[in-house]
Amino acid sequence: MLTDTDFALHGNGDAAVDIRFAASPGEPLSECIIALADAIVSAPDLPGVTEVVPAYQCLTVCFAPLQLPQADSGEPDITRFEQSLRRLTEAILAKDRPVCGTRQLIRIPVCYDGAFAPDMQTLCEKSGLTAGEVIARHSAPHYLVHMLGFTPGFLYLGGLDPQLHCPRKARPELRVPAGSVGIGGAQTGIYPQATPGGWQIIGRTPLALFRPQQSSPFIARPLDRIEFVPINAAQFADTDPLAEPESVALDQTHTSGVPR
Amino acid sequence: MSLNIIHPGLQTTIQDGGRAGNLRWGISCGGAADSFAMALGNLLLGNPPDHPGLEVALTGPEIEFTCALSIAVTGAHFDLRLNHETVGNDEVITVRAGDRLRFGPLRSGARAYIALAAGIQLPILFHSLSTHVIAGFGGLHGRPLQGGDQIPLQHCRIEPPRALPAAYRLDYSSRPLLRVVHGLEAPYFPAETLARFYRGGFTVSPQSNRMGIRLQGDPLPVEALPEQVSSALCPGTVQVPPNGQPIISFVEGQTIGGYPRIAHVISADLHRLGQLVAGARLDFEVVNRASAHRTLAGKARLLARLPELL
Repeated sequence: MLTDTDFALHGNGDAAVDIRFAASPGEPLSECIIALADAIVSAPDLPGVTEVVPAYQCLTVCFAPLQLPQADSGEPDITRFEQSLRRLTEAILAKDRPVCGTRQLIRIPVCYDGAFAPDMQTLCEKSGLTAGEVIARHSAPHYLVHMLGFTPGFLYLGGLDPQLHCPRKARPELRVPAGSVGIGGAQTGIYPQATPGGWQIIGRTPLALFRPQQSSPFIARPLDRIEFVPINAAQFADTDPLAEPESVALDQTHTSGVPR
Repeated sequence: MSLNIIHPGLQTTIQDGGRAGNLRWGISCGGAADSFAMALGNLLLGNPPDHPGLEVALTGPEIEFTCALSIAVTGAHFDLRLNHETVGNDEVITVRAGDRLRFGPLRSGARAYIALAAGIQLPILFHSLSTHVIAGFGGLHGRPLQGGDQIPLQHCRIEPPRALPAAYRLDYSSRPLLRVVHGLEAPYFPAETLARFYRGGFTVSPQSNRMGIRLQGDPLPVEALPEQVSSALCPGTVQVPPNGQPIISFVEGQTIGGYPRIAHVISADLHRLGQLVAGARLDFEVVNRASAHRTLAGKARLLARLPELL
């Protein structure tokens, strides 16, 4: 259970409400946020909810204003809507540990070789580590997936080794290739699409992170864990982008705390 | 039965109501940038308001039809020709096999919609046919249309001649005033900065796209603002990045963001973002949430009433 259970609701535009939590980002808070998202989607007394968007310390609930029950004034009854959200939030926060679905440890192959790692040198200079040490430290943690977002399939990961924290580029690249693995500040992640980007690029995965034509379009879900597995350029070339990554079901009783 | 793209125009895409419900996976809703203009064309043809059609941006296409069907062009005003005859916006146009629709110069607005009395026979992804340009999926091959593309059609129908009533004919020539509610981080902005924002006069930058509408003006100071932990970024949100030039999140906006949010364009005005052209000057007017919902209800009533007026 979270020790700090304070939260507050804030209007986010005219068609969304942010539920913001006082607790620090981390696995216990993310578990609450994901459990709350699922509870809101299946709540019978919350018609009109169109989106639930989890983030590190916030769950955003979007609604269709004209589908909310009306107040006596004939206008959407936001007060009642917010009361329902508060009640659900309190119920989740009161639980010892909210139940979330099965979680996987997903192993994502990454080639850290030269051509795929244009900014490895920068990272070595900033961290004082050799390329081998950067790779070892980057591929050691079981990163927590806090949420998906930004563009389809991007994973917001927690757990980067503080020695690898590195400022973003002063001038973002106009085009970072899809699959690029980068570090920006205290975050690490993979660019799912070729987009502009300011992170320091230290590798690339051959796997597609977003597979719109498949029944499982995303490689991971919130609360899953990610491990980067170093591969060489020949293995990179041999990997089918649409191959399923190796995954192991995690025993939930052992996932709290930071493994490794 | 198909639409053959002879010339694609600048960015002609297959669009419908988009993919609501997927923000938590990083998929912005997308769909028609001006959903109101798209709905008018569809209702004119007896379609549901978000029936799939084509969105035309700034420079229009030339399209050949291989079968007879009815269409309607709404939204931005272009000079339109069917073969060599001038045809109008906001009315049912019935084409025959071999006819060509040509878009000439743009007169006002930014995006036109070609509604079709037909279905587009392409794979449905996440319950939508819309082209997500930024993420590269949906529509035809996940990209804007190119010369030589053929869009397969089914269930082509002919509709009786009809035109939109005068009150429904939109004009985009006046300087846009977008209604907003206060932003989540508005309390952190100094009063002087907020006052400057509401003085308006921002110019729409040519760097704008379906992801975001970038504005240019006197930079808004953001140095003293507390750093934000990234969270959901909803369409219409006006963020102020470190360079002080506001960005309005648009139909294919990123789903998570971290810049301070000074304001949010109200739901009822989101569709108007679709008609902004680079160089246009615009202003913001703050309203409260109840007023925003009344405006939305008013626009919904307008659309609901349209079929009986046709």
